[in-house]
Amino acid sequence: MTIRIETKSGGFDVEPKAAETVLFAGLREGFTLPYECATGTCGTCRARVMEGHVVNAWATAPGGAKLKPEKGDVLMCQSRADGPCTLRVPSEVRIEHDNRPDYFEGEICEIERMTHDVIHFEIALARPIPFIAGQFVVVSAPGVNGGRAYSMVNYTPTLARWAFAVKRKPDGGFSEWLFTRAEKGSALKLFGPLGKATFNPHERQNLVVVAGGSGIAGMMSILACAERHDHFRSHRGQVFFGVRTLADGFYLPELAEHVTAANGALEVTLVLSHEDPANSHHPDYPGIKLDKGFVHEAAMRALSAGVDNPLAFVAGPPPMVDGALRMLLRDAKVPAGSIKYDKFG
Amino acid sequence: MSWIRVCKTTEVAENSVKKFWIAGIPLLIVNYGTGFRAVPPVCPHMEEPLEESGVVANCILTCTKHLWAWNLLTLDKLGETERPLRTYEVKQENGDVLAFVDGEILYDFEQVDDMDDDAFFGKS
Repeated sequence: MTIRIETKSGGFDVEPKAAETVLFAGLREGFTLPYECATGTCGTCRARVMEGHVVNAWATAPGGAKLKPEKGDVLMCQSRADGPCTLRVPSEVRIEHDNRPDYFEGEICEIERMTHDVIHFEIALARPIPFIAGQFVVVSAPGVNGGRAYSMVNYTPTLARWAFAVKRKPDGGFSEWLFTRAEKGSALKLFGPLGKATFNPHERQNLVVVAGGSGIAGMMSILACAERHDHFRSHRGQVFFGVRTLADGFYLPELAEHVTAANGALEVTLVLSHEDPANSHHPDYPGIKLDKGFVHEAAMRALSAGVDNPLAFVAGPPPMVDGALRMLLRDAKVPAGSIKYDKFG
Repeated sequence: MSWIRVCKTTEVAENSVKKFWIAGIPLLIVNYGTGFRAVPPVCPHMEEPLEESGVVANCILTCTKHLWAWNLLTLDKLGETERPLRTYEVKQENGDVLAFVDGEILYDFEQVDDMDDDAFFGKS
């Protein structure tokens, strides 16, 4: 069975595996199909079925809200070919030979509750798979419908053990499985690595990070990569990490170690939205500053004088991402081209 | 088809946007410090309401939804922006901002253009 894909830069054929989505089949073969979230929420992977038929795995996907189904518009991340078919993708598409995403399997080798609603777990892979700091992977568990996208927390160039942080969500199928049924040895299927909000270790810019809750996950990978490549020897970094209360903070030992290693070039501020901090610095990790309010507001107070030569990363719940983008553009005067974030909303 | 007074220059703060209705037509007035623009009030990408999503800084209008951005002086598309920002002609007179309105400027979201255009996909 062949999927023909017509694009602005020509047509190509893709051979999907059994039950594989059009998006994953194309990405796996190295085609740079447009996507952001890969899990049905953003709408970026829009395409139009011209011939043949595809099966839609998630009819009410939020990313499909603005599609025109009567014209055959679909989300490639939710579509499986039902036979030979032809799709149009309104973008330029290249072929990439490196860092192609693929399927692989792993099992949970570490699982630990960090706060009442955030869990850290690690997946042991059969072989090391390289990824770029800031990338994510789509994870699926046996008996749980659909895949979820999670950013890798750790970073070394080739790694057979990937770490993740997941926040418990009401009605979240995967997070509920993770919090109640997952254990060491549980098998998982993964597809990745994915995502373009990545940190290139050769960047020559000052790092600004605004993260809320489990959005800090990919930022931890970026900080590890920056430290490994001595980024903070010649550049500065400012990290604003928003949580509700002091007790909701996590990865604080790791963040404190990054501050120490950066020797004054990296500032980390834990911003509490639902508690007034008693001190200016964390009682247990004095390298970490404390502030109160919404994380993007605390960042605005610190950045309103502008940031010299910035590269900004934003991650967190959609309202926080929106507030942080406005703050960076309007108050910190960071140009849109110097802001990276994954569009999950 | 005429010049229509939209607002006082002081009604739209520097580096901000404000939406007005003029003769049944919605206009977004953009004050970028050294001048004004009048544009349709939605982002040409995905119809995001620019009075909420539009941020003005350094003479650039950016829609915060997906970071499409335009230089307000030259109207150049910046970064990954794929569509031009359409504008009504504007001028300032006696402390007022006037726009030249010859019917409402609407982006063609319906047609989703490229998908229907066979030539575009090298078919004709």
